[in-house]
Amino acid sequence: MELSLHQLFPRYFEKNGRDSELWNQDLHFKQGEYIKIVAPSGSGKTSLMHFIYGMRNEYDGKILYDKEDIHSFGAEDFSKLRKDVVSIVFQDLKLFPDQTVFDNLEIKRQLNPFHPMTMIKEMSAKLGIEKKLNSLVSTCSYGEQQRIAIIRALMQPYKILLLDEPFSHLDNKNALLAMELMLEESKKREATIVFADLERIDYFPFTKLYHL
Amino acid sequence: MALSFKPIKPLLQTGTNNASRWFSYIGLGIGVLLLLASIQMFINIQKMLEGNTIRKDGFDFISITKTVTNETMGQTEKNLFNATDIAEIKALPYLEDVTPLVANTFRVQLSAGSIIPFQTDLFIETLEEDFIDTVPTSFTWQEGQVDIPIIFSSDFLEIYNVFAPGQDLPQISAATASGVPIIITCEGNGKKAAFRGKVVALSDRINSVLVPKNFLDWANKTFGTVTNMQASRLFIKSKDANDPALLNFLDKKNYKVNKDKTKFGRVKQVLQGIFTGLGVFGLLVVVLALMLFSFYLQLVIARSKNSLQLLLTLGYSPAWLSTHVSRQFIPVYIAIVLSAVAITQLMQWSFHRFAMYNRPEISSYVHWSVVFVAVGLILLSLYTNYLLVKKLVNKVF
Repeated sequence: MELSLHQLFPRYFEKNGRDSELWNQDLHFKQGEYIKIVAPSGSGKTSLMHFIYGMRNEYDGKILYDKEDIHSFGAEDFSKLRKDVVSIVFQDLKLFPDQTVFDNLEIKRQLNPFHPMTMIKEMSAKLGIEKKLNSLVSTCSYGEQQRIAIIRALMQPYKILLLDEPFSHLDNKNALLAMELMLEESKKREATIVFADLERIDYFPFTKLYHL
Repeated sequence: MALSFKPIKPLLQTGTNNASRWFSYIGLGIGVLLLLASIQMFINIQKMLEGNTIRKDGFDFISITKTVTNETMGQTEKNLFNATDIAEIKALPYLEDVTPLVANTFRVQLSAGSIIPFQTDLFIETLEEDFIDTVPTSFTWQEGQVDIPIIFSSDFLEIYNVFAPGQDLPQISAATASGVPIIITCEGNGKKAAFRGKVVALSDRINSVLVPKNFLDWANKTFGTVTNMQASRLFIKSKDANDPALLNFLDKKNYKVNKDKTKFGRVKQVLQGIFTGLGVFGLLVVVLALMLFSFYLQLVIARSKNSLQLLLTLGYSPAWLSTHVSRQFIPVYIAIVLSAVAITQLMQWSFHRFAMYNRPEISSYVHWSVVFVAVGLILLSLYTNYLLVKKLVNKVF
């Protein structure tokens, strides 16, 4: 699966005075590449992730999955894309606060099971939240919630994994564990990772680096 | 493994605004019950009243005349049916056929000879054989034949038997009537001839003395003085003499009809009107209840908007969500409609047993069309529900 961005630019950004390695460029990300995007707050990291994931469309230019422009996608096409091709860890996590940790993970897993149900427990143990599985998400700390969001993203098959500041609430040790898990899972799927963060992180072995 | 709705169900806030939900359920139940009960009563009326006319080969036959009023008295042409009147009636889509009753245009006297000392001036008539309920093979006549077969109204025999004892005449049975030799004397145009009449059948349908058509045609030509005689009575053949459209037409034209044969029709007209009204009211209540339920659904989806939005963001298909969200209400809809069918069945059983004393025309069970409408209502509710949920979910996407 190749992801291409052609002259992509958010409509709500001012055109002049911006010098970006990503906006208004023609970029192609081949399958298996690890893309690191570094940018300060407000430079459009989350916008970019949302554009690629098909959640927002206030942009000029094109986003193509294997040469297919997502502008032509309908609601069902996006569902299929999110179920089979692209997975994401949102910056704002987007969990169901009144459901248990387990239910949050199972809701995603059952949609297109890449792993058996037992894997929920296994991954939770790896990231140290297995005791929280039966607790409501609203009772979990931000760090725990971030780990839930990461595990949820790994429950499905994907060719592209989008990470929007996935470690903002994690300490270095937990961030490293989570990164290892994501790299391991992405390797299984030979997937591309697009990782957007405020600063460069040493333990993400990127193949391309862009500054927004 | 199939995608399960179980972990999704708690995300829908269906428990909110219970009052509006229950009002819509009760409303739907009442509406469906009204509609089904009205249909059943409509059918009951139809069944109970359809056997009250004299039918031949599935048709009703009734005679009509023009109403003689003070204004039209003495103006024969106004009280008789002309060709235009007959053509107009013939053109009515709900009538099968119409035929004039042709009467004699000469003097006819009838006597029973020496057996019963009785003599009277009478009229004879004829009409197409297809309109007569009892036509024996002997009901034929050929020129030169002295014997004339007669079909006699059974009402006339009854009237005779009422006044016979007072006149010191013997009462006679239907069987004897056909054995009594009747002398028919035709007189007119300066000619006079006597024929032997023989009652070959009694008719319940036609209040007249009927003779074969070719005999009356010949006799009118021979003894009659009036050419091109118009009919004072018409006989109409209809699928249903109680058809409201036919009764309206007759009322409008001021034609007089045998009230006995159409009085059920008038009762039927009124009753069916009442039950049609009730049915329409029931349908309106169903529509209102469905509307109320749609408000409730909108509220459920508005309150569950964040969860639904997140499910769609995670990759759940809008079509799958719409189907499964609307499917949640299937058991409720089925339960409501089935309860209405059960109550209609109970009402029908009680009506048949306690009000109609098990009359054979109607059944203790609801008519199939009631079940058909009930199934239709379930499907209609589910379909409108699905469309609404789909629209709302797509709006959330």
